[in-house]
Amino acid sequence: MNLRNWTRALWALAVALNGAALYMVFFYAPVEMQMGAVQKIFYYHVPSAISGYVLMFLAFVFSVLYLWKDDPSYDVLAHATAEVAFLFITIVLITGPIWGRSAWGKWWVWEPRLTSALILWLMYSAYFLLRLFSRHEVRTARIAAVVAIIAFFDVPIVHMAITWWGSIVHPKKVVLEPAMRQTFFVSMAAVFALAGALTLTRWAVGRAEERRLAQEVSP
Amino acid sequence: MRYLRVVLLVFAKDFREEIRRKENIASSLLFAFLSLVLFAFALDPTQVDLNTTGSGLLWLIILFAGSLFMGASFRKEMEGGTLQALLLSPVDRSAIYLGKFLVNLAFLLLLEALLLVFAFLLLDFRTGAVLVPLALCWLAVTVGYAALGTLFSALIAHVHGGQVIYPILLFPVLIPLVIAAATLTQDALAGRPVLGSQWLRLVALFDTLFVTASVFLFEYAVEE
Repeated sequence: MNLRNWTRALWALAVALNGAALYMVFFYAPVEMQMGAVQKIFYYHVPSAISGYVLMFLAFVFSVLYLWKDDPSYDVLAHATAEVAFLFITIVLITGPIWGRSAWGKWWVWEPRLTSALILWLMYSAYFLLRLFSRHEVRTARIAAVVAIIAFFDVPIVHMAITWWGSIVHPKKVVLEPAMRQTFFVSMAAVFALAGALTLTRWAVGRAEERRLAQEVSP
Repeated sequence: MRYLRVVLLVFAKDFREEIRRKENIASSLLFAFLSLVLFAFALDPTQVDLNTTGSGLLWLIILFAGSLFMGASFRKEMEGGTLQALLLSPVDRSAIYLGKFLVNLAFLLLLEALLLVFAFLLLDFRTGAVLVPLALCWLAVTVGYAALGTLFSALIAHVHGGQVIYPILLFPVLIPLVIAAATLTQDALAGRPVLGSQWLRLVALFDTLFVTASVFLFEYAVEE
């Protein structure tokens, strides 16, 4: 099976799993006692956060590989993973306040994890802005890779600073009842499959762009 | 030894250039002074006491005026066509970075010193009693700021419209430093011990990490 078929298969899996996950979220998982229906955001909020951070780590790895091996295909991979990571961090930042409104009574609290995600989002916004500005620049890939590496090293320090500075904290350990746990695992698989499918598709687009650029350079 | 000489040579060259051209230093310092005056109007100095709250605002001035200065440190070489020559010289490139870093550090320290004087004169910001611990904290914060400011300045030197994205790129990464600077300033003014505090250790970690990373990554930032 070639990559294109793998991508298709993953998309099919993502659609099926998300259908199942949505069904379980709304009809199978019980309504949480204190927070009510809004708590159901949890089933997509948490997996999105995990997907975002994993993809961000991959973007860092590909950026290092690009600088090390000087192979443009790593830049395409770094760009693709960073872009999908950015999408999922954005989802986290949108779903977080909606949930927070019912849990904390406010749309936004300067809470460590939420604030860290926001700062990360700002860093990645600048990263894409840089790519936008330097589109016609040969050094773009190298500049972007350096920025991605610096941003990655900054994340633990940001988290430390924000934790000391903030006060309200996410629950450290969540105990889920069986039906909730099953729903959570299915939605986790659904979001991961979606993230994988999006990344593969974005990667294919990146490679197509690369090929077109190469054709323009040497007709 | 030779390496150190190159660092000092780049530093001396840039330092002399900045002093002679004046425009960069003058515009950044004036911008800082202007911001301070504007703060007085925004804050109502009869109500707000910088000695108890809001001293972190001074760090916003340092951030904005500093980025105005540092953003130009490689762009001016580009505009003058001297960046190529500088990079072609048979020396270790990290030495060029460190030379530039020292110039930026020197400027930022000058800016901070002047800011303290004017904040005292205009806003009654009293730091006399805690000047030594405060100066050490600010120095530590400034090292990390200058390290990343210099690296990012090299990154955007070739980018069209680089001046616009420079602060947008730089500031999010600096957020831990800003929080630390504001908290340390507050603590120092309140007479709490700051030397050896967890915030100063965080700043030390930041400085070590990013000075090292910048020295390594600079090579890739300017490579043709």
